[in-house]
Amino acid sequence: MSNEAALDDLRATLTEGGRLSDEQVRNLMLKTDLLSLGMLADDVRRSRHGETTTFVRVAEVPVKGAVSTELRGQAMELRIIGVPDSPEVMVSAVRLAAEAGIPVTGYAVHDLLEMSNGDMALFRHLLDELLEVGLAAISELVVDRTPEPESVVSTVVDAGLAISRVTIHEASGDKRIGFLKAVAGWTLPDRGVWAFAPLPRAAVVSEPEAPPTGYDDVRQVALARLLVDNIGSIQVDWALHGPKLAQVALTFGADDIDAVPAVDAVDLGPRRTSLEEVRQNIRAASFVPVERNGCFESVM
Amino acid sequence: MNPQTVDEIARKVGDGGRLSRTEALTLYEQAPTHLLGCLADEACARRHPSGIVTYIIDRNVNYTNVCVAKCNFCAFYRPVGSPEGYVLGFDELFTKIDETIAVGGEQLLLQGGHNPDLPLEWYEDLFRAVKTRYPSFRLHALSPPEIIHLSRLSQLDVPSIIERLTDAGLDSIPGGGAEILVDRVRRELNCYSKASASEWLGVMRDAHRVGLRTTVTMMFGTVESLDERIEHLMRVRDLQDETGGFTAFITWSFQPSNTERGGMEATGVDYLRTLALARLVLDNVDNIQASWVTQGGKVGQLSLSYGANDMGSVMIEENVVRAAGAAFCMDELEIVRNIENAGFIPKRRNMHYKVLGDPIVQQREVPRMTTLAQARAANDHSVPEELVRYRARTPSGKRQRVQH
Repeated sequence: MSNEAALDDLRATLTEGGRLSDEQVRNLMLKTDLLSLGMLADDVRRSRHGETTTFVRVAEVPVKGAVSTELRGQAMELRIIGVPDSPEVMVSAVRLAAEAGIPVTGYAVHDLLEMSNGDMALFRHLLDELLEVGLAAISELVVDRTPEPESVVSTVVDAGLAISRVTIHEASGDKRIGFLKAVAGWTLPDRGVWAFAPLPRAAVVSEPEAPPTGYDDVRQVALARLLVDNIGSIQVDWALHGPKLAQVALTFGADDIDAVPAVDAVDLGPRRTSLEEVRQNIRAASFVPVERNGCFESVM
Repeated sequence: MNPQTVDEIARKVGDGGRLSRTEALTLYEQAPTHLLGCLADEACARRHPSGIVTYIIDRNVNYTNVCVAKCNFCAFYRPVGSPEGYVLGFDELFTKIDETIAVGGEQLLLQGGHNPDLPLEWYEDLFRAVKTRYPSFRLHALSPPEIIHLSRLSQLDVPSIIERLTDAGLDSIPGGGAEILVDRVRRELNCYSKASASEWLGVMRDAHRVGLRTTVTMMFGTVESLDERIEHLMRVRDLQDETGGFTAFITWSFQPSNTERGGMEATGVDYLRTLALARLVLDNVDNIQASWVTQGGKVGQLSLSYGANDMGSVMIEENVVRAAGAAFCMDELEIVRNIENAGFIPKRRNMHYKVLGDPIVQQREVPRMTTLAQARAANDHSVPEELVRYRARTPSGKRQRVQH
């Protein structure tokens, strides 16, 4: 089969909602050039999300910090960051943040598990308490730090919560692809996880490997789009990866931009705000920007 | 006649046909980004089938930041008399050359502000001094607006200025100051008076006629329309048809921070699309550079799939776009790694794009460079000794000479 015919074959499988065989995945990774991979991912992305690209303005709130009322109307998600000392602090931070009337997300699944000493009954009890005081979703499930992710997600969903995004903390080379395959293999409850952020969040420091390049990153995003069909959105991070890479990643299959700053840094200069900038970037990538909140609901 | 579709134009380009202005605009406005990239990538591969991606080890030095042009997109210049204004001394420049040679470099890219207190003789003496000390070291120096500035200052015509500078040691001319070669745009950017579009092209024509090779640039993303961006490319292509003197085309997006103009920077996708279009329109310019210094290493590397065949310069030093907020750095090791990671073969080159050899880092240990150097430390307000030998034109320049 010619390269072009093989790509058409993949495209047909994917846009009809099918899954790739192991051999097709191997061909995709070894034989497909970057732009063909991008085109394929873009086709699949458009078949699932049309021209819409969602983004969210996030205000990060330290677990022991106060919430400014000025954030109302600017932040569409309040994200509690940091590791609390106790379950009580965890709950109290959510209660305080929820008073702002903005969807509150927070915490990583592995921190919640640790806070519960790995006891699933305690974990469930903590989830119930967090839901009770106003938590909209758990911020993240870190693939490389969370044991038995499928069962954890089920417990979260049973408690009436969701996981905002699955992330990879640290990985390089083949490990990055390995995590994609692992996530693609999960059986997840409907709407249990809203987004998958396939680019590792931390630079690998423990290995003598070089940091990922632009090719590595957009290839990872495209492969995530093509392999991971059990999570709705493929997400890139505006603050972490920067506007340029985040925008280019949209043309390689990403459909959601996380972490647009709710409050602009003062040095952005005249006639320039993050909100305008993210919208301009989405439009320039030939998509339609739609702002969402921390619950993945469109806001007008 | 019915307007052509993107598919028809894509077929024409794929068959090696030349794009008209209208076709180029249709492609830019309507072609999906990946299609533009594929067409540019194919055009690049046809021209460079060896899979080699080149780069140069040189140093981007700005000999003065004092400038009377006052372009409203520039964050680097200081007006005459500013306490932050500087002129580098010959000894400072020699030190920079020594450092460049130490990491395998063989050229300075030397540009600066339009400083009315630096007469033509200063440039001639500097070039001669460099060539005396470093006979094989190359001077890729003075963009067309600087040459026009010297022409006005010394009341000599441009060919005479080029001749005197070449006699003193000028090897080639960088394509800076082109911005967008459309006078409406240049007036809005307040850079028409430093050089109109015709004047800029005229300097390059004069340089090519006497055998000098030059590069050509385009800074986009300010006030120009897409049509004007394409007009720029067409003017470059026309002059290249006439002289064949351009070795490479380099484009980058306006960096707005700290500038009078301000506003937003063109996006990464805008950059890749513009780069790809340049590769397609400029079918007579061999080399298209990636601008990692403005786009960052990641988009810089992605440029290699959108028509670029050259990763530009290791730079060592950069002052102009840093002043406007871009502070990316790639040393030779990083450039080589990015080229290889993209599936190409890295080779060192000179300004004429002659391959000089394999990367220096593959031959010997070279210290890592994690930030680009600056012209001078921020608190260094020293005045070079030799300046006193040259006549100043402005009152503040004259005072400075007397005080010294």
